[in-house]
Amino acid sequence: MDRWALVSGLQGDLDLYEQIQKELKQQRGVANLFVLGDLIGSQHNCNALLERLRQPHRADVQPECIYGWWEEQLLAECGYRGERKADGLREEQGEAAVGDLLAAVDADHLNWLASLQFGFIELDCALIHGSSADVSDRLTEDTSALVLLDRLTRLDVNRLFTARCQRQFRLELFSGSIQSHVKDHAGEHQSEQAIPKRSVIGIGGGRQYTLYDPATDHIEFRIAEDPSHASGRGFG
Amino acid sequence: MGQVCLISGPPGCGKTTWALQKLQEHSGPCAYLRLEGEKEAGLEQGEDSGIDLAWLKDQVPRLEEPTADNTEDLKQANNSLTLIEVQRFHPPSQEGLKGFGEDVRSKLKALQLQPDQLLHFGRDHELPAKDTLEFSKLEAWHTSLLGCVWDPNSLSSFWFELVNGAYGDVYRAKGLMNLPDGRAFFCNWMVSQQSSQFLPLDITAPPQGRPDRTSELVVQGKALNPKGIQATINDCLLTDDVLAMQQQQPTSQG
Amino acid sequence: MNHAVISCLHANLAAVEAVLNDIDSQGIKTITCLGDLVGYGPQPNEVVELMRQREIPTCQGCWDEDIIDGLNACECSYPSQLAERRGHRAHHWTAAQLTEENKAFLAELPMTLRRDKLLFVHGSPNSQHEYLLPDMNAYSALERVETAGAETLFCGHTHQPYVRELRQGSIRVKVQQRDQDIPTEHELELPMRRIVNAGSVGEPRHGSSKATYVIHDDSTGEVTIREVDYDVVKTCEAIVDAGLPVVFAWRLSHGFEYAERAEDASHVCER
Repeated sequence: MDRWALVSGLQGDLDLYEQIQKELKQQRGVANLFVLGDLIGSQHNCNALLERLRQPHRADVQPECIYGWWEEQLLAECGYRGERKADGLREEQGEAAVGDLLAAVDADHLNWLASLQFGFIELDCALIHGSSADVSDRLTEDTSALVLLDRLTRLDVNRLFTARCQRQFRLELFSGSIQSHVKDHAGEHQSEQAIPKRSVIGIGGGRQYTLYDPATDHIEFRIAEDPSHASGRGFG
Repeated sequence: MGQVCLISGPPGCGKTTWALQKLQEHSGPCAYLRLEGEKEAGLEQGEDSGIDLAWLKDQVPRLEEPTADNTEDLKQANNSLTLIEVQRFHPPSQEGLKGFGEDVRSKLKALQLQPDQLLHFGRDHELPAKDTLEFSKLEAWHTSLLGCVWDPNSLSSFWFELVNGAYGDVYRAKGLMNLPDGRAFFCNWMVSQQSSQFLPLDITAPPQGRPDRTSELVVQGKALNPKGIQATINDCLLTDDVLAMQQQQPTSQG
Repeated sequence: MNHAVISCLHANLAAVEAVLNDIDSQGIKTITCLGDLVGYGPQPNEVVELMRQREIPTCQGCWDEDIIDGLNACECSYPSQLAERRGHRAHHWTAAQLTEENKAFLAELPMTLRRDKLLFVHGSPNSQHEYLLPDMNAYSALERVETAGAETLFCGHTHQPYVRELRQGSIRVKVQQRDQDIPTEHELELPMRRIVNAGSVGEPRHGSSKATYVIHDDSTGEVTIREVDYDVVKTCEAIVDAGLPVVFAWRLSHGFEYAERAEDASHVCER
């Protein structure tokens, strides 16, 4: 069966990416690898990972990438978002982090990063970094179900996979209803709307990644082995 | 012997719709000819510009146009049907072909076509009794849209305005319009009908550049504002750049 | 106490005057305006000055924003090329007419106004450009009001007045975490919330050419949708005299918007 691997928050860590690739090869039937943003960060030099993602090895499960919060910061700072700058990053981590980020990514990767999409729609699933409202939207299992339902509705999907919160969870909206009463010039009418069965899935970030089987709707939350330990123990 | 039938009637009475139904029901060889009727005082014949023939040929691909060369074959074939359509505001005052003008008669003679049956909408019960408006004064306007491609939503707005009176009292409007995805629509409206028909042609053009096929608009009515119609059409038609862009990305992604 | 909410004036002076007269004649003192003072109509300066003179609290509509920031600021995607070209013509005409003082006034309008649990916006709390239509997904509609921390949300932008009450809502959820074997379940009970759309004074499109607005009684919560006759012909003549597209006058006099939205323009070619 063709399963999907969902990864995010690599932040330039090529060793981690190679470790995950290794684990995916050991798993049977993983056909798609979706990298839901934050390919880059300010901590590592990101160029080697970006080159690998852009030009995968033949044996790699071929990655499909979208942009995330860190890409948004870099692209904004480099003038790809009109007047906006890396305001979010400045606010959270200060000026130095902006400088580190600029230094971590070569300018010749910018156009490729700018070409990445906001999200993918696969079958009835949306694969997104934050949410349908914004790349920085941090959805967790504690977010109001009303907000989660709205984010699902905006894309008209049954499952929304999100990475921004870096948590692994599955939240299923499975029942409920609401009454709507409308009065306008034509008269009044009342209707009831029921909750469709829908889910929001946090795929995790960094070493945490998720496998999903669209045929059975089965989800497996995984943690990659620490690459330094793994190679020490002689894998591969 | 094959059958030759001539139908006549005022604009929008349903001649082409009836012809399409007959041709679709008919299993043998078939041909169709549209002739301009004679001029009447104060009433302009709507230029057809090939809309009806293009529409019928799309729907009945085996349809032929009668020529001096093929009429003999059609006559000989036992199961052939030739339909001749003439736009005519009033029923003929004389029996047979005498009731039609010299133009019609000479064209039929040149093609050696002798109708077995002459039917007029509003007079003969063989034809559906659709509304046949009393026309006293009618203006006609037409434009060629050859190679033009419409922005689909703009076409919808334009048609809405056109048939609801934004550019004069329109009694009749019909056209063949191209869309960027290669489809074309036969748009048809008559003041007495409830709504417009938008019928897709069966044949689509490859969505590359501008299609080379019949595309026309004919409008009949009173106090028409051709300048206004043309100005709005110009706002609806796609430029080369936009067309190229839309054809590159036929579907948008969410 | 009764207060009136008006929206989408669109530079139609005759309609604005008729509505203000109707409000005054009922002795209502509090009026709130939800923006779009200008755009399409022929009297942008006159309408802005009337609102300034009457000191009516107003939030900024998408047209008010765009006339200041230029068309690039507009996220509204026009439903068609025709609507876009007409919109741009109206934009350029309006931008050329407006005085600097009136532009400055529009530039400083707030995005939202709040009075206790009442929130006033042009489109939605998220954006001046979002349409809250009466048939919008009920949970999403409730989310807009609830996330904004309001009990009643007043909006415009759609030009169709309505009152919508969302009640007895609930959502049951099941949460599975990585390190938990058994999912937990809980239920969210949702509060009752209301959305009131004030319709349009200057560009009605609810099936008639009458100007519309709403009156809200904040002690009983009752909302009345008002329809007011005004001299449409006068505004139509002003449109033609101003050199704006003649078709604007035709659309206004028939109760169609100057440039329709996608919802009613898609029926031709979708199949």
